[in-house]
Amino acid sequence: MVEGLGDVLARPPQPPPPDGVAALRTALDDGARAARAVGGWSQDEPLRLSKHLVTGLLRCPRRALSDDHGVGGDDVLVGWVVDAAAKLAAVSPRRHVTVDAAVAFLTALGDGTVADHLADLGAAAEGLTSDAAARIDRLTASLAGVDAGWWPRVEDPVRVALAGGAVTVAGRIDVLLGGPPTGRPGVIVEVKGGRWYDGMRADGHLYALLVALRDGEVPASAVTIVSDGTTHVEHMRPALLEHAAERLDEAMRVAARLAAGEPPAMLPGAHCGHCPVRPDCPAGRAWRPPGDVAASAP
Amino acid sequence: MPSGGNRSRPIEGEAISSRSGTDDLDVASREPIASEPRTLSQRASDPVGTADRLRAEAARQIAEALAGAPSPGAVGDVYVGWVAAREAAACPARYRGDGEHGWGFPGWSPPLAGGACGRAALAHHIAEADRAGRPATLPMPLDAIRVWMRALRALGETGDGRTPPVERSGVGEWVCEVWEAGDSATLAAVAALAGRWLAGFVRVLGWPLPPGLTLLNAPGPAAVSTLRWRPDKASPVTVACGADARLGRVTGAGGFALVVHRVTTGDDDALRDRAAFEAAAAALAIGVAPDSVLTTGGDTGERVTAPVDDDLLALGTERIVAVVAQRVVAVERGFDPTDATPSGACRHCDHLVDCPPGEAWMRVAERWRSGLPVL
Repeated sequence: MVEGLGDVLARPPQPPPPDGVAALRTALDDGARAARAVGGWSQDEPLRLSKHLVTGLLRCPRRALSDDHGVGGDDVLVGWVVDAAAKLAAVSPRRHVTVDAAVAFLTALGDGTVADHLADLGAAAEGLTSDAAARIDRLTASLAGVDAGWWPRVEDPVRVALAGGAVTVAGRIDVLLGGPPTGRPGVIVEVKGGRWYDGMRADGHLYALLVALRDGEVPASAVTIVSDGTTHVEHMRPALLEHAAERLDEAMRVAARLAAGEPPAMLPGAHCGHCPVRPDCPAGRAWRPPGDVAASAP
Repeated sequence: MPSGGNRSRPIEGEAISSRSGTDDLDVASREPIASEPRTLSQRASDPVGTADRLRAEAARQIAEALAGAPSPGAVGDVYVGWVAAREAAACPARYRGDGEHGWGFPGWSPPLAGGACGRAALAHHIAEADRAGRPATLPMPLDAIRVWMRALRALGETGDGRTPPVERSGVGEWVCEVWEAGDSATLAAVAALAGRWLAGFVRVLGWPLPPGLTLLNAPGPAAVSTLRWRPDKASPVTVACGADARLGRVTGAGGFALVVHRVTTGDDDALRDRAAFEAAAAALAIGVAPDSVLTTGGDTGERVTAPVDDDLLALGTERIVAVVAQRVVAVERGFDPTDATPSGACRHCDHLVDCPPGEAWMRVAERWRSGLPVL
């Protein structure tokens, strides 16, 4: 049986004990100090890591250093709407969230980008909004009506400073449930507007690590809810936190070498398909998906 | 726990500051918080006399600054809160340039109202429990916000005796207007942001809240509504303390601490600067110097105590007077890049195109992002 958020909240697992968290902080701090020595960051001009940058540095440093983040197409816009809808569902007593309500919520939060873009599109926005509506219906049902005792909070900020503030790791958790002082175990909910792929798990692991470092308690679960209908539940265990810390440590090492002037490695892969710097990247241009006819052609 | 300790104690080597803090206050601690005052030997010897001297000195410096204006009424009303103090210190040129928008309060919006609504809802939650003669239960953030909003709505109705009275507040009246307008998106955004404030505040301070904690800048019988000071009745200057709470009672012997809660630490200034401003503003408003300032971070979980001494109060006063001085300069000279102070804020500055120092800074900054080179 596929486990969903409702199942997690109905029968929350026991979170791992926080015994190893202090050791992880110490190890990360040591790693950050070593990286600082190479990268030259300071408290005033720190290395600022986010989940996107950590993943980017490990996946392809060349892409991570790109000034071009790619054009925000309709998919990105729909993703924002879906993300806002999920957050609205988490904080609002309403059972059904519409595209209009999600866009109005975003605007009220101070981000009028989506509303402006839809207004510019006029009637042409219809396809986009119907796509968003379908995804919202799939995604928000599990978030609506969460018991208030779980303290649903959206975009909960979390930040860890290492090496005397020369390296910071920060993020905003889409929806955080439970955790101190609620008396219930913490549950991290990450909302994804696109399609599920395994790499999404890393975001939940990183946030679980950051929350554990912040609160001194390990969250019980990280739940990734994707608008393609996928819900991925991962119950936290020490090995996952250690893995997240290892990724973070490796990202700091890569960042240090880049800051010191080392040319970025080009690591081709499936991400090349939508990489904005691919035209200037020999490795990216040469890469083909497995089984691609062009790749095997003489 | 330290034997005589009542507060968070810096832990060596566990630096966790947000930015640009060059002082030794930028350290985290998860030590328990209590409300016992420091011992007499640790505390400022004369908190009332200290505040009196601070009032006299601040009034003198503010009068001196205002005397530089071309005419007595030329400056207009000057509201000195933490945001103005931070902006005037960060880049005087940009702060003066804000005069195009009047420096005034832009009006409530969800991002601006989150803290005020969170405090008001928590104060209401505590007041309800007080009225019922029972200890307050752990508030559920979203429920607490909704209960407060409903109580606000009940203010104008004939009471049925069950709804406790809620004192009016500016933000409360705005919420009522939003409700009347049927703007559910804005109400939901307020609930989200106020709930986040409330959750972070309670998480970092713990529940039950520390003994002797009183919310500040919040309405209702369980809180103190505002902390403001004016040098004299005719002065155009109002200094406002933005602390969220007070630990301990205000007495002539001092012994109380201010609590300043920051939802996120990254967008605030150095911790010592914030503590200095709020300590000075509180001493001016209350007439008694606080013993210390406890600064908490919602995103980091940090609790850092800054003892209040003459140096900290002098720094806070300097920040207050700097706002007035820049407003005087702005009467004749608005944005002027000669004293621009480039920083990360240049990325969003409306005056960047007219600011050679800012543009020069950006040419370097644009080659780096988040501490990494941009290719």
